[in-house]
Amino acid sequence: MKIIIVGAGEVGFHIAQRLSEENQDVVLIDQNPEQIKRVADNLDVQAFLGSGTSPRILKDTGIGEADMLLATTDSDEVNLISCLIAKNLNPYLIKVARLRNEEYVNELPLILDKDHLGIDHVINPQSEMVRSIRRLMEIPGAAEVIDFVEGRVKLIGVLVDKKSPFAGRKLLSFTKAEGDILVGAIIRTRPNLPGQVIIPHGNDSILADDLVYLVARRQELDQTLALFGIKEKSLRRVIIIGAGQTGQALARVMDRARIGTKIIEKDEALCAQLSAGLSNVIVINGDGTDKELLEEEHIGNADFLVAITGDEESNILISLLAKGLGTRKTITRVSKLSYLPLMSAIGIDTVVSPRLAAVRAILQYIRPGKILSVAPLKGEHAEAIEAEALETSDIVNKPLHKIKIPKGVIIGAIFRENEIIIPRGDTVIIPGDRLIIFALQQMLPKLEKLLTVKLEYF
Amino acid sequence: MNFQIIFRFTGILIFFLGVAMAPPLGVSFLYKDNCAKSLLLSMAITCFSGALLFVFTKKQKDKQLNHRDGVAIVTLGWLMAGVVGALPYLFSGTIPDFTNACFEAISGFTTTGASVITDIESLPEGILLWRSLTQWLGGMGIIVLSIAILPFLGIGGMQLYKAEIPSPVVDKLKPRISETARVLWKIYLLITLLQVALLLAGGMNLFDSFNHAFCTMPTGGFSTKNTSLAHYNSAYFDFVIVIFMILAGINFSLHYKLLTGDLKIFGKDSECRVFLIIVGVFILLVTLDIYGELYSSLFQAFRYAAFQVSSIITTTGFVSADYEKWPHFSQLILLTCMFLGAMAGSTGGGIKTVRVILMVKHSYQQIFRIIHPHAVTTVKLGGQAVSEDVLSSIWGFFFLYMGLFVIAFLAMASLGLDYISAISSVAATIGNIGPGLGIVGPARNYLEIPTAGKWVLNACMLLGRLEIYTVIVLLAPEYWRK
Repeated sequence: MKIIIVGAGEVGFHIAQRLSEENQDVVLIDQNPEQIKRVADNLDVQAFLGSGTSPRILKDTGIGEADMLLATTDSDEVNLISCLIAKNLNPYLIKVARLRNEEYVNELPLILDKDHLGIDHVINPQSEMVRSIRRLMEIPGAAEVIDFVEGRVKLIGVLVDKKSPFAGRKLLSFTKAEGDILVGAIIRTRPNLPGQVIIPHGNDSILADDLVYLVARRQELDQTLALFGIKEKSLRRVIIIGAGQTGQALARVMDRARIGTKIIEKDEALCAQLSAGLSNVIVINGDGTDKELLEEEHIGNADFLVAITGDEESNILISLLAKGLGTRKTITRVSKLSYLPLMSAIGIDTVVSPRLAAVRAILQYIRPGKILSVAPLKGEHAEAIEAEALETSDIVNKPLHKIKIPKGVIIGAIFRENEIIIPRGDTVIIPGDRLIIFALQQMLPKLEKLLTVKLEYF
Repeated sequence: MNFQIIFRFTGILIFFLGVAMAPPLGVSFLYKDNCAKSLLLSMAITCFSGALLFVFTKKQKDKQLNHRDGVAIVTLGWLMAGVVGALPYLFSGTIPDFTNACFEAISGFTTTGASVITDIESLPEGILLWRSLTQWLGGMGIIVLSIAILPFLGIGGMQLYKAEIPSPVVDKLKPRISETARVLWKIYLLITLLQVALLLAGGMNLFDSFNHAFCTMPTGGFSTKNTSLAHYNSAYFDFVIVIFMILAGINFSLHYKLLTGDLKIFGKDSECRVFLIIVGVFILLVTLDIYGELYSSLFQAFRYAAFQVSSIITTTGFVSADYEKWPHFSQLILLTCMFLGAMAGSTGGGIKTVRVILMVKHSYQQIFRIIHPHAVTTVKLGGQAVSEDVLSSIWGFFFLYMGLFVIAFLAMASLGLDYISAISSVAATIGNIGPGLGIVGPARNYLEIPTAGKWVLNACMLLGRLEIYTVIVLLAPEYWRK
């Protein structure tokens, strides 16, 4: 597949990296020579210096034979015009635009109208992030929550406590009496092996401090979490630091949900503007890194502190400060992926990243065919994929042990008629099943190949 | 520095070179020229040592090739090519001396075309083909070839590609580097075959047609005849080769654009325009200079001028007339051509047209700034602004090129060469041309150069082919610091 990406900023660069590692033909366009140099030095993609709205540049990239255009610049207008011109140059092109301005996002039918802009898909990292923060608040014990099967199945990332009954044990040793635990991926966070991703088999063990990804039905979430020693508490007090676009959007969601929320922002004018639009949320003007202010607002009693200012180093410090003052749980916005492996080591439990959110949303869209959902796991070396098993595929109607599945790939769960099946060697997949597959990133081409032939997904 | 990766990849390269000895071996069987045994031995040794390096280095799973490793692999790979490329000469006894054999091999791979063989026509066919093949492989680049063939290199391939083709303007034809390398090799092969067809049509035999095409497209300049193209004394061959030498001196990405439908690209591209104008003007000047006393007909004068100017400026080094007998003005034009060289992204050597254009423009910008001290100006190439980084890297290149030239010709002079031979032998090897003036002139060869001088010139050829930075960076102490 040939994919043109407009904008080599954080999101564009990252998606280009992912796609080129998966052997797609990627062409990147950016106006900034520095960015182009960075791309040319680091990625095996073709880089063009120029504007993504320039018909000449778009023609130079060979848009005629391209399959998809991803407009990921920081400017919504550039993204829209780029898609518009691309549409005229190649009517069969699939166009995905990253849009941040809510004015546009709220008028999606206008943007998606085939006769005008004809954009096929809109990615809004802010709203993706707000959604994932909301999900995390619903399940406070989890470090990460990803929805599958329209939210009926949840993939949750849980940090294994030293006292957990599962720490230091092999997966094989889990007994039925302890409950059905379905571990899809293990990420080691110990300082000596940071970020090592394991797609586990029975012989792998869970260690203390691991981040473990579990699959659970929504109804059984509490039980599963209880097994890991995580007790649910109701969500009553939330403090948001930073009223950028995400902060504002989150505040509005909390406002509607009537959860006791305070939002702290440095900019006085912004505060005034914000308070005019909110009825339940308390807007506080002040510096989020100011300890006195935080104490004054009883940060110790907060169930959640969400640090989403534009400055990620401040976010990290605010979260650490809040933890020290007794906040139950913090959510920190961190964009730099190189920071992610360090987070749990310094005691930051939950991290959200706009970049990861955008990448996740775009990847999900890029996977063609019957792939329903894709979620890159923390650190990005593994993915959870939701796919539907087709009638015509080779993996249906025969026991799993007869299917050659590449190493580093497991079928984590089968979802059939509101029931989760943990697959065993003799499990038979029937057409229409939803499969949740875990795969290491380097195994994706192999998995795709396997699926191309047998599942008709790609 | 990751020695495991470096040696592993060098091993693969050496193995490839061994495989490349198969066609000469086949020819050797076909012509029963008594050198099949030595070719087979060289092939076995080369493949075996390549495989040995590969087997005894560990696969490094998560480590990617970085730029430093790329530079080391390319330099080491080219050095090793010079050594294993010498084996067929040594074993067959055609060049019994190690230094001479290495010189011939390095001159081959770097597409220089400087030879130490006096009686070329007496060589067995297998060796002749190997000699031409080293040029053909070296022309588009042995590393680029391996990137085209080995799909698993990925981003590591990028680092190698950049180290082997350090063009000031990066031009990636396809999204993937391996795909780009494949496209380049396909075009290269296509034009080579076209030339073979045209030479055959003119009555050259199949073996010589292939050999000459293998040495034209890489701008190499080895011939199967003692007197090079003068042997045929045919205007048809001269002009066919002139056209293909100029094609070889043009950036291959322009050939790609031409083949994909942009028919006016040679005129549109500013570097190509300047290159063709320079060639045209020099041909005109030389024609006027040699017309009269030496060549009585204007056509004859034009034919030899066109051939020799194209041959030298594209850094090919074929010879159709003894230009030592030409007036000094023409000889100095040819010497100037040695420095100018062909276009970036072509198979030619020298300083390269694009660098010359940018240095001229940049110098003019400095003059302009004296007149208008507050003016804001940018140096542009083909309508695109060129960054200061690129410009300073070009000036750095120019300084190193001239600096190394001076050091090398002083070294040659200290070994007893007269000044014109010293200057031209270094200019002709650092620019990958081949024949120079004086004792290394068109009618003579490099055999008389003393052993130490040959190693100086070997270094010049490698430096020139890899455009200096790639090799010289290895000599910087900073490179070896952790």
